[in-house]
Amino acid sequence: MTTRGSGEAVIRVDELRKTYGQTHAVDGVSFDVQPGEVFGLLGPNGAGKTTTVEILEGLRKPDAGSVRVLGIDVARDADALKERIGVSLQTAAVYPKLTVVELLDLFRGFYRRGRPTAELVTLLGLDEKRNTRTSDLSGGQRQRLAVALALVNEPEVVFLDEPTTGLDPAARRSLWDIVRALQSEGKTILLTTHYMEEAEVLCDRLAIMDHGRILASGTVSELVENRFRERSVRFEGIAGLDDARLAALPGVSQVKHENGEVVLFTSDVPATIGAVLATTERLGQEPRNLAVRRATLEDLFLDLTGRALRD
Amino acid sequence: MRALLLLTAANMKSFLRDRAALFWTLAFPLIFVVLFGSIFSGGQGQRDVGWADLDGSAASAQLRAIFAAAPNVTLTDGSETDLRAKMKSGGLAAIVVVPKGYADAVAGGRGGGAATLVVYTDPTQQSQTAGALQLVQGVLAGVNQRISGQPPVVSFEARTIQTQNLTFISYLVPSILGMALMQLGVFSAIRLVGDREKLILKRLNATPLKRWQLVGSNVLMRLVVAIAQTVIIITVGVRLYGVQLSGNLVLLGALVVLGSLAFIALGYVIASFAPTEDAANGMTSVVQFPLMFLSGTFFPIDAMPDYLKTVARVMPLTYLSDALRQVMVDGTPFSPLWVCFAALAGFLVVCLAISARFFRWQ
Repeated sequence: MTTRGSGEAVIRVDELRKTYGQTHAVDGVSFDVQPGEVFGLLGPNGAGKTTTVEILEGLRKPDAGSVRVLGIDVARDADALKERIGVSLQTAAVYPKLTVVELLDLFRGFYRRGRPTAELVTLLGLDEKRNTRTSDLSGGQRQRLAVALALVNEPEVVFLDEPTTGLDPAARRSLWDIVRALQSEGKTILLTTHYMEEAEVLCDRLAIMDHGRILASGTVSELVENRFRERSVRFEGIAGLDDARLAALPGVSQVKHENGEVVLFTSDVPATIGAVLATTERLGQEPRNLAVRRATLEDLFLDLTGRALRD
Repeated sequence: MRALLLLTAANMKSFLRDRAALFWTLAFPLIFVVLFGSIFSGGQGQRDVGWADLDGSAASAQLRAIFAAAPNVTLTDGSETDLRAKMKSGGLAAIVVVPKGYADAVAGGRGGGAATLVVYTDPTQQSQTAGALQLVQGVLAGVNQRISGQPPVVSFEARTIQTQNLTFISYLVPSILGMALMQLGVFSAIRLVGDREKLILKRLNATPLKRWQLVGSNVLMRLVVAIAQTVIIITVGVRLYGVQLSGNLVLLGALVVLGSLAFIALGYVIASFAPTEDAANGMTSVVQFPLMFLSGTFFPIDAMPDYLKTVARVMPLTYLSDALRQVMVDGTPFSPLWVCFAALAGFLVVCLAISARFFRWQ
């Protein structure tokens, strides 16, 4: 078994590449995850998150780059790694005819060490469904079962791929509570998501991915607040008001367009708003739906990729 | 090993809880056995024979008594017309008509005269016809001998060579077993592709399970089901339809295992090329129907036209069913037993090689 000192990364990914035909699914990705951290890979569908995670789990072989998880070179010794990690894939329909308890017992039997099924059932809030066939579970229950299956072997690292996709808000929140509980048990968690809110709420640090690359990484505050010290002033676009003129307004650092709205990033909100009003008045118009907002991950994503993150 | 057994048990539970799977593997072959058994086992029981006596003499009454004494025969008296009507409605296996002047003809028998009985049978009921004619011949041989007062110069002693007593149901039961084993194996493709499509194989792959454990648990589960099928089909054949099981049980067991393995391997081949569960469903049908109908399942290959015989010769199920018949009921071999074993083993190896090359886990 590998020993690791505090501060040494649990996951270390260096220049990872994976190509399918002409598509660079993962195109030079590097990041690391510290012990006890919840680390998020955030990006739209097809960004390469799942491919990256599956390489870390030993399910796919990388074309280039190195991946170490718990000090194990995944490309060389995936079998040793599988004993010590927990995996929740995007789908959870394993053996639909078995009950929750039967399935957990079965998976528990695949590993050398493990956690009692009864304890897992309670932790994941599945007590009432313990003898229900997995095909009869709701989406949220199924997702919790998938997480439970990822915990049967007392893993040190847990991979959750899109754990809340397709869930209603209540089920999503209950899963967030579970992730926090796991973190308080000291587990290191890597999750992928395309929900901004989820990343903001759960992740200590995150990496934003698109087209197989990491565009930015850090804590949410590093990413958003440091990068966007400014706030945004936004209003519906006005004909005759060109970007050059807007960019010259006091305080404005950037001009963007989003869904028909003009978005001005500014370090001096009152000065900018005053100038916007003065300018539009000269054009005989009035800015409609004028609003001021703090920058979010959404803005960051838009800034990084030039497009919005879709659900 | 523990993981292998756990996974096998989980597969078995899933199978037992899947009503469709249970129907196709256990009930469906039994339906065939019962259906054909009921249709073709008529020759075994009581035979109703119509008796129309147009002579009304003491000699004809004596003949009637001899017929009535034959085993498993019930005589129904009546006019020729009535009896013919009755036979058409399915009430009689045959009709014997004693012509007018029978007594005289028999009396003059020593002088060279002869009496001719008319026997009606239904050519669409082959086993009944054969049985009825045999009965009449047997009885008349005895009568002739008694009248002439001399033993026949040439007689024969009936001896059987293997299939002499092979009734159609005895032919069919091994065939149905072969068909059931084939389907059990081939159908595994649907489950495999479904598991791949639903990412179940991938999820299992993320555990320390080895691939041989995944394959092994599937094979073990199916072998258990194959043995259950064998026991059930044979029991029904023996108990309900009097099929005589005459073979070596160890050889039968070996054949069931080898046959199952060969067709499970064929299932893996199908799963190697079917992209979706629906495609696997379709491909399974495309594979199983020719196997079912062109391997001598329902009628002997010898009765096929030559070009179909050639086709039958390349069907792996031909060799399994043929060998099952030889081992279970001493059926006439189409190919020697060792050829059957070799053909199945060869087929297994080819399927394994193709699967090893093309089967995808995700």
